[in-house]
Amino acid sequence: MVLTILPLELIDKAIGSKIWILMRGQTEIVGTLRGFDDYVNLVLDDAVEYSPDVHGEICKTKLESEILLNGNHVTILIPGGDGPEDSMATNFKAVE
Amino acid sequence: MSKEKTPYKSSGTSASAPPKKESILELNRLVDAKVHVKCLGGREVVGTLKGYDELVNLVLDDTEEYLRDPDDLSKITETTRKLGLVVVRGTQVSLVSPQDGMEEIANPFIAADQD
Repeated sequence: MVLTILPLELIDKAIGSKIWILMRGQTEIVGTLRGFDDYVNLVLDDAVEYSPDVHGEICKTKLESEILLNGNHVTILIPGGDGPEDSMATNFKAVE
Repeated sequence: MSKEKTPYKSSGTSASAPPKKESILELNRLVDAKVHVKCLGGREVVGTLKGYDELVNLVLDDTEEYLRDPDDLSKITETTRKLGLVVVRGTQVSLVSPQDGMEEIANPFIAADQD
């Protein structure tokens, strides 16, 4: 019998650590995973949102306090991921 | 031609337990193989399939995401970025195929110039 990893178990193991979320469009979010539900709605702490503005430049926004991220458009979850600043050399400007 | 009975049609009026759900995908055959996954928003990734569930949530290892042309976001380039061990949401998956299972063909929709 082939031993496979269950996806939701992998997300469960990531609770308490950093997670990098790729959304359906060009938006990405990095934060500390506090919890999730069956629909993979996520509770994230100290979240930073990376999304392109009208000019296509990536805007970095710090989201104050814990957030509930709607799981509807969550496409890819990367446990322990550092975010797009590490692997991609895109221009971004920080917005407080 | 006799109509084939679908596996989910209950026979008779008894509330019998539904037959065990079988995926038509058979992802167990692709475990440990490199797969190409297309997502609904246009994202495309390749990775080694490490796990899945019946909702087609996937676990991919050594994942690379194909980047899109910054000037034309509908165009996919050959450049990639490494993502590592990821979970792909089954609700956002539109295609799963073995990496070698696809090749580009000439555009069949371009009309010939001459009639």
